[in-house]
Amino acid sequence: MSIRKLTTLAMFTTLALIIFTIENAIPPLVPIPGAKLGLANIITLVILQSFPPKDAFFVLLTRILLSTLLFGQAMSLLYSLAGGICCFIAMYLVNRLLQRHFLYLTSIIGALFHNLGQLLVAYLLTSVPGVLAYLPFLLLSGILTGLFTGLCAQFTLKYLLPLTARLQSSPKEGDDN
Amino acid sequence: MNLTDTNPKRYQKTALLLIIALSILALCCLLWIWQGTNDNSGKLTADIYQNGRLIQSISLDSVEEPYTFTVTGDNDCRNEIEVRPGSIGIISADCPDKLCVHQGFIDTSLLPITCLPNHLVIQIRTEDITPDIITY
Repeated sequence: MSIRKLTTLAMFTTLALIIFTIENAIPPLVPIPGAKLGLANIITLVILQSFPPKDAFFVLLTRILLSTLLFGQAMSLLYSLAGGICCFIAMYLVNRLLQRHFLYLTSIIGALFHNLGQLLVAYLLTSVPGVLAYLPFLLLSGILTGLFTGLCAQFTLKYLLPLTARLQSSPKEGDDN
Repeated sequence: MNLTDTNPKRYQKTALLLIIALSILALCCLLWIWQGTNDNSGKLTADIYQNGRLIQSISLDSVEEPYTFTVTGDNDCRNEIEVRPGSIGIISADCPDKLCVHQGFIDTSLLPITCLPNHLVIQIRTEDITPDIITY
């Protein structure tokens, strides 16, 4: 991994953390645990779209670990990891299936699987079947927030991609790893 | 974007299928929620679970005076629960996000109150009014 790429990815991680921090400061809009915009996913989508999936995954993991260190407790790491990994795998597959088109669809699927992963962990931790009553709410909110973040990512790419392309177009960029 | 398979038809078809599937899913969720809001008849019982164990069961219909009590869990996390006639809610907690407090008071079985950090779930159960003996 070249230093340039490392720096770019680190910058993206920082961006994701900043977005995450700002979103954390917004009071929850609906009183349903897990129903939030997930704005940091914009960054994951952008990287997934313009870098190899491995890089997107590393940025996601770094962001989750750092945000847990900064704000969360040990418990929230489990939720974030389960949600994040489910979301990433789903987004990777859908993005490949759609050949990088219709980014908002990828985002919606990602949000849905993020919520499913978190709900699964919640169910495993509390082992109260009643937690599953959140499922329709979380799926609905996943569709809405996924659509929103997906469109955000699409606009970001439209205006930010020229910038990242300029950052990447160094003579010694080469292939990854 | 150097994918070898650049047949536009295929991904458009996939996208269409996905959109249809998502619409159906959204519709199902709406129906599910709508159906849930319709059954709030019968006797209300609030079950309080901690770490998956039922720790307390309160019949909300027999509550006359509101009262509060505190549930203490692992790591000394605390949730103060208030019981009112016909409803129950968490009024204060020491968890970081306070989502359980923001959920307010519930009086239907539609959504349980959940405090994920403290592993606490309050769920309302509606018992169907199927009395053993009907007296006229």
